[in-house]
Amino acid sequence: MIPTHWFLILSAILFTLGVCGVLTRKNGITIFMCIELMVNAVNLTFVAYARQYHQIHGLLFVFFVMAIAAAEAAVGLAIFISLFHHRHTIDVDEANLMRW
Amino acid sequence: MHGIDWVDAGLSGLKIAIVLGAMLSVTPIMVWVERRGSALIQDRPGPNRVGPFGLFQSFADALKFVLKEDMLPAKANKVLYTIAPMFGLIPALTTIAVVPWGRPFLLPGGRLFEPIIANVNIGILLIFALASMGVYGIVMAGWASANKYSLFGGIRASAQMISYELSLTLAAVSALMVAGSLSLTDVVWRQTGSFVLFNTIKLPAWNICSPAMWMSFIVFFVSAFAETNRLPFDFAEADAELVAGYHTEYSSMKFALFFMSEYMAMATMSALITTLYLGGWDVPWYNEPPNAFGFAVSVLAFVVKVSALLFVFVWVRWTIPRLKYDLLMKLGWKVFLPMALGNVVLVAWFIAKGWI
Amino acid sequence: MITFAIFFFFAAVAVIFAAVVVLHRNPVVGALSLVASFFALAVMYVLLEAPFLAALQVIVYAGAIMVLFLFVIMLLNLQHQEEPRTRPVQQFLGYTSSAAFGLALIYYLAKFGVTKLPDGPFVSDARTVGIRMFEAYIFPFEMVSILLLAAIVGALILSGRTGAIPPPTGENKL
Repeated sequence: MIPTHWFLILSAILFTLGVCGVLTRKNGITIFMCIELMVNAVNLTFVAYARQYHQIHGLLFVFFVMAIAAAEAAVGLAIFISLFHHRHTIDVDEANLMRW
Repeated sequence: MHGIDWVDAGLSGLKIAIVLGAMLSVTPIMVWVERRGSALIQDRPGPNRVGPFGLFQSFADALKFVLKEDMLPAKANKVLYTIAPMFGLIPALTTIAVVPWGRPFLLPGGRLFEPIIANVNIGILLIFALASMGVYGIVMAGWASANKYSLFGGIRASAQMISYELSLTLAAVSALMVAGSLSLTDVVWRQTGSFVLFNTIKLPAWNICSPAMWMSFIVFFVSAFAETNRLPFDFAEADAELVAGYHTEYSSMKFALFFMSEYMAMATMSALITTLYLGGWDVPWYNEPPNAFGFAVSVLAFVVKVSALLFVFVWVRWTIPRLKYDLLMKLGWKVFLPMALGNVVLVAWFIAKGWI
Repeated sequence: MITFAIFFFFAAVAVIFAAVVVLHRNPVVGALSLVASFFALAVMYVLLEAPFLAALQVIVYAGAIMVLFLFVIMLLNLQHQEEPRTRPVQQFLGYTSSAAFGLALIYYLAKFGVTKLPDGPFVSDARTVGIRMFEAYIFPFEMVSILLLAAIVGALILSGRTGAIPPPTGENKL
């Protein structure tokens, strides 16, 4: 049986990669994909702890996270389509109308 | 995990060999059936020169594919262009592993032989998971070809397959609710035997015969055509509009792989329809004995049902013209999705009343 | 033994493809790599004795959400949109701070994380999960359905071409 903390370390690596992508990339959709990566890393942590403590609540949380990620993807991609219609780019640096 | 049961492993290997052999021989047979069938429907002779009744036409086709030049478009993304045809083959070949294709029987040593490669308890979910990966083969091929028509084919395919996967899954939910299990073995066992309708007709207990299930059967059946990209829903490759859609740029064995995956996906879908609605390996009005004879009869019944469905696929292709794309989407979202959802409610009502 | 090999192979797949998502300039390659990474995570769920969740992971993430991403990328024809390399200071700060964050995370996980193995098998089949879901979490479940409905409406309003959209002015930035 594989120890739980190995899964936790894998999840930490994936989360870090996600953070790195969000901080360094400027393509809106890539940033969004990195957010999905972070969400998945957290899901892995939930499932790992669910097995560790025999708590099925961890799995149920993953269901809710998945549902919310689906909603988030739909709305987020719609925002990027709208942004693209107005600015013809999805570079997040270009969407600076609300910037002080 | 200490000590491998070698008899078990050997039996698994045998089952895999049987299923893989059957799946791989589906393509040449179906090519022949399709070409001769289309000729029959269009009142022309069809290919009849290679062998008796043109039976060896498929082998001539295969030879032609092998001898053609393997083209690579100049601006194509080489890696994705190469792995896309393989990706198309994976779901077609793997999903069949969880479909039972015969009645289990006791081997002489007292060991139960289950004619299913992997009897997992999430069977149908595994099928939908792997089938949903099938869209990537088409999308990758469409994008990596660096061709506008290919890209349009890929975009159309992704939209179409996502839309119809919903109604397909929801239609299957009804069958799963009746069986009370996600395992396809349980779904088939639930459909063995028979029931008497209105004290007059004795019907086999197949899901399609149940008054609550025929609607979901229609949804599943039509969505299966959309999932396998067959006419009247072949928008991914619509040859009158998009040259050949996602595989415009493909030639030689890579094209042959797409060709094979189309027919294998058809075979898998037919097997799935058979399992979910047509009683799987069950022979109607007959109680198969739990021995080798019962096994043989049940396998024969399964093969006959799948072959009949495959013929319907060919028949429909050469009978019904292609829809318009907006009609396809309208049909998927405004007709089939509500129908499938309504059927789930109907089946739940039947179960609550104890009628099923 | 073989489970360890599977774990390391798919962990490597998940990490390498996740790195491709972060580093590759082409969003289509990024999206396809993310699919591979999610698929490897589904294998992790199988190793964690949650096969039901693994199937859902592939169906929902790899089969639906990522197809949506690819669909949008192809629809907007973004595959040629290379990002210019600007703001090197911010980029450098981003890389270093995330690396520091990751190292700290791994350090504390290795130091304070759970090291003892769970006792006994973990039952997480569809029946158990479903019963718990509809007993204890029925209210959040309904809330999520409302949220999804709101998301559908929001996505339709945001992406629908209802108002007049001005034609492209100046040179096309694609």
